[in-house]
Amino acid sequence: MILNVAVYLCAAAAALSTLLMLFQHNPVKAALLMLTALLATAGIYLALSAQLLAMLQVILYAGAIMTLFIIALTVTPAAWRDKPASARVARVLGLAAAAVILTELLRVSTALKAAAGLPQFSETGTLAIARELFGRFAFQFELLSLVILASIVGAIALVSKRRTAQ
Amino acid sequence: MNSYNLAAIAFTLFSIAAAGFLTCGNLVRMLMFLELMLNAANIALVALGHNAASQAYAAMLFAVAAAEAGVGLALIISLASVFRTLEPENIKELKG
Repeated sequence: MILNVAVYLCAAAAALSTLLMLFQHNPVKAALLMLTALLATAGIYLALSAQLLAMLQVILYAGAIMTLFIIALTVTPAAWRDKPASARVARVLGLAAAAVILTELLRVSTALKAAAGLPQFSETGTLAIARELFGRFAFQFELLSLVILASIVGAIALVSKRRTAQ
Repeated sequence: MNSYNLAAIAFTLFSIAAAGFLTCGNLVRMLMFLELMLNAANIALVALGHNAASQAYAAMLFAVAAAEAGVGLALIISLASVFRTLEPENIKELKG
């Protein structure tokens, strides 16, 4: 019962901060609202008994990725000259498209209503996740290191090319 | 709480982030909303999976999100230095 309330509260906090991000003109305040949404997501993971993922969410998303965004905002001065509002038609069209996406997703997933919901959230230990990562998904996990290596090389190549061009 | 409610939470977060992605006119902000969309997909994966395999997939998605943010921000910084703007409407040339 308490866990259900926690899930709903954290989801409401995440949705509210994402909505406030939409109407926030200051980019740094928008980044802080995104941080709130990410921390609320970590709360959802905790309430769903996924403790390792909650920790990873705080360390990776709220720590590393948010730092990247803040650095990008400070490095690019154009970010500060944010346009106050886009065209009203484009805004209404974007919101309508998102509403259509939401209704379609909800309509498609009505089959889940019939699916038996779990009465209690089962605890999934870190050991079980590690067994999956290093056992069944070992190849995918190793491929992931290649993806990260490629992204590091790509990021450095992009920025260093700009330096030599100048 | 059944699976439908959990799915509805993830879908709502995804749609709000998608609305932000479609309406904002700033590249950094668009990447922020893209990360939030990926985050909502991760919530759906964890909430509907309920086993170790789905959580392992979610952990791998964290790494993909980090790689995406790194490359995306590097691209945006180099684009901003060339075009002196962060608004996608003002970036029209594709010359190398």
